[in-house]
Amino acid sequence: MSFIISALNVLSTAVLVIGLIFVFLGMLGLLRLPDVYNRLHATTKVATLGAFGVMASIVLNVGFTPIGIKAITVGLFLLLTAPIASHMIGRAARRHGVELCAESVIDEYIIAGETD
Amino acid sequence: MKRYLYYSIPLGIMWCFVHGTVSIQNFLFGLLLGPVVIRPFRELYDFDQELSFKREVRKIPKQIIYFLVLIMEITKASIMVSKIVISPKIDIKPGIIAVPLRTRTNGGITAIANTITLTPGTLTIDVADDRSVLYVHSIDASYPESIRMSIRDDLERFVLEAFE
Repeated sequence: MSFIISALNVLSTAVLVIGLIFVFLGMLGLLRLPDVYNRLHATTKVATLGAFGVMASIVLNVGFTPIGIKAITVGLFLLLTAPIASHMIGRAARRHGVELCAESVIDEYIIAGETD
Repeated sequence: MKRYLYYSIPLGIMWCFVHGTVSIQNFLFGLLLGPVVIRPFRELYDFDQELSFKREVRKIPKQIIYFLVLIMEITKASIMVSKIVISPKIDIKPGIIAVPLRTRTNGGITAIANTITLTPGTLTIDVADDRSVLYVHSIDASYPESIRMSIRDDLERFVLEAFE
């Protein structure tokens, strides 16, 4: 029994560390990538997985107690809301005329009522 | 009245999860609170839609599979973006691609847009006003046709099965 608990503790710590590494990489991407849209790639995907990893580590540590169930709920809401936030930021940036970075190869976006 | 009850069921389950203890009392309390939430946001709920409880229940296994696949895809996407981030010289060819859509329902478009954002290399920017085209930003847009194909054939079919 105690073996299972200590194995779960080790697993929980490992997941926590992996999650934190992903959060760190997400923030590094925010600093290193060239423009708004590429930075959104880093923050939504990588940082969401990182936060999800932290939540999973909580669940592994405390099990299906009230705290664990709340962590699952927070994880699911993160999964639902992170793409919507990035969608709104990208849309607002594009409508305000933020240009794509110089490396971009293609742009098929047409804003309604705008001619060029 | 029946519709309020029907839309309250997911809210009741959600209340159990937010509260942290899944029990019958909590579910019933959530069910009781449901209409209070639904009434002010009436416009967001589809009150004209034909109701079929059986069909909704039958979709649940597919939705669970969808969530598992989604988590797998996010993991792949994160590893891909992480590789780009930690490479010494950032070498990317980003661009915005127009992807035609088959579905026209609100729920379908929302699910597809969210899935695209969470899958490797792509991010939804906007929906066209007539809901026929989705604008997708890709971190590697050297082959726009292949991205369009993969979204239409793999993702869209999958999402439509779970949410329509």
